Amino acid sequence: MKKKFRMIHDENLCIGCQACSVACRSENDVPDNVFRMQVQIETKGVFPDLKMDMQRHSCVMCEDAPCVTVCPTGASFQTKDGLVQIDHRLCVSCKYCVVACPYDARFMNPITKNIEKCTFCYSNRVSKGLEPACVTVCPTDALVFGDISDMTSEVYKKAKECNLLYPKANLGTKPKVAFVPNKKGVSYE
Amino acid sequence: MNNVWGSMAQYDVINWPWPIAVYLFLAGASAGSIIIALLVKWNRHDKEVATIWDAMVKAGALISPLTIIIGLILLILDLGKPLSFYWLLISYNFESVMTLGVIALFLYTPLSLVFTALIFEDVIKKNALLSMLYPVVSYIKSYSKYAKKIEYVLFFLALIVGAYTGFLLSANMSIPMWNSPILPILFLASGISAGIAGNILVGMLFFKSSINKESIKYLLMLDLRVIMLEIPLLLLLFVGMFYAGGAAKVSAIQALSVGNWALVFWVGVIAVGLVSPVVIALTALKNHDYKVKFILFNSVVVLIGVILLRFYIVYAGQIFTGAL
Repeated sequence: MKKKFRMIHDENLCIGCQACSVACRSENDVPDNVFRMQVQIETKGVFPDLKMDMQRHSCVMCEDAPCVTVCPTGASFQTKDGLVQIDHRLCVSCKYCVVACPYDARFMNPITKNIEKCTFCYSNRVSKGLEPACVTVCPTDALVFGDISDMTSEVYKKAKECNLLYPKANLGTKPKVAFVPNKKGVSYE
Repeated sequence: MNNVWGSMAQYDVINWPWPIAVYLFLAGASAGSIIIALLVKWNRHDKEVATIWDAMVKAGALISPLTIIIGLILLILDLGKPLSFYWLLISYNFESVMTLGVIALFLYTPLSLVFTALIFEDVIKKNALLSMLYPVVSYIKSYSKYAKKIEYVLFFLALIVGAYTGFLLSANMSIPMWNSPILPILFLASGISAGIAGNILVGMLFFKSSINKESIKYLLMLDLRVIMLEIPLLLLLFVGMFYAGGAAKVSAIQALSVGNWALVFWVGVIAVGLVSPVVIALTALKNHDYKVKFILFNSVVVLIGVILLRFYIVYAGQIFTGAL
């Protein structure tokens, strides 16, 4: 059956340790100075009234993916589960997808010259029934991943109990990465 | 101060650098020059001059294939994997503007070469090296009864090539300055402007003997109208961004006021490229005077303006995205 994958990043549980980012590098052989994913930490406010927001920065696996639409060769495509992947054989590295992505998720691998991004570790882990590398190493379980249509899954339970937001939801790209916004620290609302 | 999360370098990359800006200019100029050559050939060409084509037709026939071929080479060299460019020709995605552009260029480029071959038939026949190609030219000539229809097709393809570069950029929702329906029409208009300027420049420098003053005057008038159209189009582009609000508004304000790119816009695009041709037209070339030096100068400033417009849109668009 078609799976409805979701990844949830709970910004309240995240401690900004970057274990996810390191796991991603080692799992996917990401070269120095480029990132498939990282957690960006933004400090807001004036001392002593501070708060730190931890925001996951990666491909969000849009349902209506601009990168797939613009790709001239079909190298950017979606699997039957709707996960956006790149076929490096077809990719000519025109960088149209890099420019088109509203999430700044794509980059050119400086060594292979291929376009890369977060793949949810689809070919190397998820298609084998494992979780993405970043999720497995998260020490606080701030990252939860799975099939949200499966009512026994962790991700289903997490989605039930939390108020999920989707990054740049106004663009209508329907991401599969959701976040639980940070409520710690000073409120500026 | 170090970021806890590592490097931000990959987010500041200009993904489409100068070769793209130059290509956008060359594609526009190519399409514009052949549109103008065909217009002159159809409407302004004196049928009684049996021997030789108007300099504007010749200039267009020369500029059009040359610029598009140089442009395409630049495009291929700018790919991260230039040697794999052939996938663009065999694997299509009809939702992608780039694919549609590839198809248009695939038809347009050879057709523009055919047009050149027919216009310069005599030169090819007489030249020692080029005469090897003459059998091909005469074979093409055997289909001359379709010539007019093929010219219409070429004209239509030139319109597509001139406008698609605008659609190519406007398909990006991530860049407010590009994500505008104004861009294709602005690029087509400024491409036609560049085509007029390029044809006049090349025609006056290389084909003096076949210059027809009347068609130059006709083109200068046409150029003035195109420029008068470009000014409100640019205004619309920024007004549209301004009223879209949010990131687009921030982007518009920054692009018009911050740093060297704002300078390029106000001085290069507006003052040199758009205002000075209008001033020249209203002063030096008033009453349809035929002053060669001013006409050449006018062409040069128009071309500079069109090139800088492409550079400005490509760079300022990618730098000022209005994010954060």
